[in-house]
Amino acid sequence: MKIERVILPVLMSVFFGGAAFADAGKDLYNKTCAVCHAAGIAGAPRFGNAADWQPRLAGGTARLYASALKGTAKGMPAKGGNLTASDGDVKAAVDFMLASVKKTASASPAKPAAAPAAAPVAAAPKAAAAPAAMAAAPVAAAVAPVAKIDATANTSGASAADINSFNRLLKPIGKRNPPPAEDGIHDPANDGTLVLMAPLAAYGPLPKSLAGNRVNWVKAIDEKKINPRWDRQDANAAPVVIDLNIVREVKGSMPDVVYPHKQHTEWLDCSNCHPAIFVPQKGANAISMAAILLGEKCGVCHGKVAFPVSECRLCHSKKKEFRPAQATAPATK
Amino acid sequence: MIGRSPWQRWFAILLAFAAIVAFDTDDARAEYGDVVINNYSDAAGMRPAIFPHWFHRVRFRCKVCHADLGFKFKAGGNEINMVKIIDGQFCGACHNGELAWSVENCNLCHSAKPGTPTQVHESTIQKLAPAALQKK
Repeated sequence: MKIERVILPVLMSVFFGGAAFADAGKDLYNKTCAVCHAAGIAGAPRFGNAADWQPRLAGGTARLYASALKGTAKGMPAKGGNLTASDGDVKAAVDFMLASVKKTASASPAKPAAAPAAAPVAAAPKAAAAPAAMAAAPVAAAVAPVAKIDATANTSGASAADINSFNRLLKPIGKRNPPPAEDGIHDPANDGTLVLMAPLAAYGPLPKSLAGNRVNWVKAIDEKKINPRWDRQDANAAPVVIDLNIVREVKGSMPDVVYPHKQHTEWLDCSNCHPAIFVPQKGANAISMAAILLGEKCGVCHGKVAFPVSECRLCHSKKKEFRPAQATAPATK
Repeated sequence: MIGRSPWQRWFAILLAFAAIVAFDTDDARAEYGDVVINNYSDAAGMRPAIFPHWFHRVRFRCKVCHADLGFKFKAGGNEINMVKIIDGQFCGACHNGELAWSVENCNLCHSAKPGTPTQVHESTIQKLAPAALQKK
């Protein structure tokens, strides 16, 4: 029984190119689990790597099922983040991954660490049959079982472009601004979640930007696309806008920072920033990108709600005057 | 698309499909600025609360909550509880059944997956140091 479960999928997938063996677990693995479990991203136990799985197997299969379904504190998202997958398919995917290590474990049960070394011998003809798959798995090309699964993935039509695709870790267009039920933090089982507005429903008429909510909020006010209240009750209260630019010279070759009070006072009260975050005195504030990245200074808002730090040039906007002659010719003053 | 050979079109579709498949498990997908507040919720058997910044900034400028109502710029740093809200502090300043829907609609705020930690989603800190957040 056990041997059949292990051998059959392998044989079937090799000889029939995976197409004839429509396994829900394998499909889900290729579609969802493989993103982390192929290369071991974020500490995920790797497909076919017995050493990764050994300590986890000690807890029993039921516990692995539970981790896959509900997620773990170590970083495994519930159902691998694919909440539309059925419980049965998720368990099948776990079985599929376990089968990969049980095979290597049975090849050399005494030393699981040596399994990857032993596997290439057993899998050599299969790996040779799919040279493209080896190239598609640079992280674990030496581990035969991983190459094997890629072979089946390729032949079943999932494409080798998955792994070497552009911007692999960036959020694709289809995953931006998801509705609450699909955003990974709202509970889709909660009735209130379904009542909540989807961000895209609100963003339609608003000017776009390249980061954050992908809405240019400053422009949205400038163009009067939105008119958020300045006072909780009084819809007619207007902010006191201060038009004062502060230029901060910065080290290195980055353009100097121009801080516009105007855009900030459209949204904020003076007391929001002064004096707790910024001492209102020239030269009194030690600001660094390190502090900003850690959520201090500008980073109190930028990188949380206001546009994120990836938009360097929105702040670093004043080109430095390049004065190479200054050192040799001080008389220019 | 028009004018290209069928082969090119097929290839483009295949690439698009591959991209979708490859990114299907991106678990950091929440809207930028969504704040999960789980100071007491989990312990009280409620789902953690989610504050959608984007929805509120369409309607109010930062000053209203962060200056007038006294919300500190820190996720989970305000010690908000339901008694204060019912008393008209924090969320309760608007969520009182007059300016906005009132506290009976528990599940509209308390809508996060149980166990979701307090954090600002998609924030730089969340991306830089997810491990540090989980330890907390």
